[in-house]
Amino acid sequence: MAYALVALGFVLALNAVGAVNFAHGDLVVLGGAVAVAGGAWLGLPGMVLLPLVAAALALAGVVAARVAITPLAARPPEATFVATIALAAIIEQGLTVEMGTAPRTAPALAGSGSFVLAGVALGRQPIAIIALGSALVLATWFLLERTQTGRRMRAVSADRHMARAVGIPVGRYVLLSLALAGALAGVAGLLLGHQFLVAPTQGAGYMLKAYIAVALGGWGSVPGALLGALGIGVFETFVSAAFGDAWASAALYLSVLVVLAVRPQGLFGEPAGRRA
Amino acid sequence: MRPLGLFWLVVLVLPPIVALILLAPFGQRMVTLIGIYALMGLGYQLIFGHLGALNLAQGALFGVGAYATALLAPALGWLVLPVAMIAAAGLAGLAGGPLLRLQSHYFALATLAVASIVNLVAVHAETLTGGANGLAGFTRGLPRGPLLLTVVWGCLIVLVLACATLLRGPLGEQARLLRQAPLLAATLGIDGGRWRLAAFVVAGALAGLAGGFSAAMSGVVSPEATGFSIMVLCLTSVVLGGTRHPMGAVLGAALAVGLPELLRDFQGAWLLAYAVATLAVVLWAPDGLAGLVDRARGARAAEPPPPAWPATLAPKAGPQRLRVEQVVKRFGGVEALAGVSFTVARGEIVGLIGPNGSGKTTLLNVISGLERADEGTIALDDRPVGRMPAHAVARAGVGRTFQARMLEGETRRDELARALSPKPAFLLLDEPAAGATDRERADLVETLRGFSAAGLGLLVVDHDIELLSRLSDRLVCLDRGRVLAVGRPAEVRADPRVRASFLGLDEAA
Repeated sequence: MAYALVALGFVLALNAVGAVNFAHGDLVVLGGAVAVAGGAWLGLPGMVLLPLVAAALALAGVVAARVAITPLAARPPEATFVATIALAAIIEQGLTVEMGTAPRTAPALAGSGSFVLAGVALGRQPIAIIALGSALVLATWFLLERTQTGRRMRAVSADRHMARAVGIPVGRYVLLSLALAGALAGVAGLLLGHQFLVAPTQGAGYMLKAYIAVALGGWGSVPGALLGALGIGVFETFVSAAFGDAWASAALYLSVLVVLAVRPQGLFGEPAGRRA
Repeated sequence: MRPLGLFWLVVLVLPPIVALILLAPFGQRMVTLIGIYALMGLGYQLIFGHLGALNLAQGALFGVGAYATALLAPALGWLVLPVAMIAAAGLAGLAGGPLLRLQSHYFALATLAVASIVNLVAVHAETLTGGANGLAGFTRGLPRGPLLLTVVWGCLIVLVLACATLLRGPLGEQARLLRQAPLLAATLGIDGGRWRLAAFVVAGALAGLAGGFSAAMSGVVSPEATGFSIMVLCLTSVVLGGTRHPMGAVLGAALAVGLPELLRDFQGAWLLAYAVATLAVVLWAPDGLAGLVDRARGARAAEPPPPAWPATLAPKAGPQRLRVEQVVKRFGGVEALAGVSFTVARGEIVGLIGPNGSGKTTLLNVISGLERADEGTIALDDRPVGRMPAHAVARAGVGRTFQARMLEGETRRDELARALSPKPAFLLLDEPAAGATDRERADLVETLRGFSAAGLGLLVVDHDIELLSRLSDRLVCLDRGRVLAVGRPAEVRADPRVRASFLGLDEAA
């Protein structure tokens, strides 16, 4: 479910600025790191930290895009690739310098431990992740599909010039999308940070998962990205339960290659004309 | 000397000489390492710099070379180095086939997946690769120390000069076209797929060689050699040095090796500084450090020369007739072309008119192979070309120009000259007179008449029915994907359906 949040943020940013943000995974880690810092220094519980992390990362998401993506809009796509890869390295190395390479734990969202429901032991944190993740995905969906703001955001990502022509303040909605993408990354970082600890080098892994989810789900398609992310999560869980982690990853990458070779437009098709 | 210039030649040759004469073993190691990274970067420049394909497997191919060397050196001795090259190039060739037709972001993802698989094998296939501990104790029989330095830099110098020489010629021009205007390149007969595969394989070979050298130098190979950090190092150093400058890879490698030494007291901070520098270069100095140095010393990168006007226009042999028969092209539910038929003979000028959205440009795209017709036949004499990719159609004798300028700073005449350079038998012109003054239009009519007199068959799309009537032997009028009328200009213009379609325009005539 946390992957879904990562992928969701990734695809929102992608649609807003029309470019892959290689630093998105590192924004997730940054969210985790902010949570760690908040938990360790201020002693705040997870529930209080959540909005703070989201706000901090919303800002970070906007800054990241302003530094490494929007100035390069007129240049070939590989310029943005390199810029965001460099940005990812900056975040990663900056965090390494600040907090060292040892993994840390982010505060739990709803206390640790587990409770028993109908004879099955359930971890509090996984339940909290699933509940909060679902709630956020639903809220994002509601925002995009059912509100005027969301309609405008989608209009801006579908055709920026047309959106401007019909009087939508494009810049503001791009900003909003980026902030939302950053906030989702931050929340995902907080959630993953308790379960899997926070280490500066995790960013590339998260980014890759989101990238795969978006590529498989159909470039730029929001529901596709969610399905892709959930698919990856389920796939990894089952294959690694049966054969071990290494095989799970290898099988995932191999299936990505096969899918790309057979269906270059993604499993669920690609909205026409969308190219990063 | 010419391809590089004396200044850069000295910069290239000096480090190994200085290192051999003046430096202690530690310094020599540093210089060797620079050479190794520069070899990997040189390969990377080909695929990333010159073709603009974001290949994220170069680091993994470096690792493949290193592991191949570690595994086979006991059996093969120094012969293992070419084998390491072949191993990496082979893997690149294997993966490249299906992956290279992918769009930019999918290509990056796919190469990243390949790299991740290589990394997983390195970590987990313990019986083969030694797992996380890696392999050691294989260096007997491999060049070491000063000899290794000499070999590495010898290879590097030769390869830098070779690349610089090759890329100054037609190959470099082809790469530029593929990078900047892939559609235009295809209609000039440049096979982008083969080009990219070749660049990918050569880049892989250089990465493999560099990996082999690095194994020989360090004496151990661990999964780190296949990791993403090597890839990021390669990417950033090439960007820092200059993605297309002949010396970009060497300068970038020197920075990648030198900076951590300079900033050793700050530990992890050098990577941070490196990443910041890379970002700054991407934003403000897209030509990289080598470009900055060139600017500082007043040497300006040579502008690509405008294409020369060909001395002879059309080949005497080649196809005599371009046939379009019952061509149908649908976009979703819309029939852009609904059964179009006509022919163009050599030496003939056929004008294609029709209102906006009548399918004129689609028709040119279908003929030149950029789009595939859903039904119908396109043939040169009796040879069907409708199923061929664009570059093959171009080689079969069909050239074209585009509505908008495909390359910055080119004149209309440059564009015509380039379209003529593969010596096509037929030329398709999409609005050649758009935005031209009356004087230029008159010149254009003269020029195109010259082409047809030399034996070229022309198909000209334009909105200016006056111009086309003066120019053409025959007119084809297209409306909503159908041929409304074909014939001499006067006949077509007298046709009542054409008059209806062009109401106003025609009455003014």
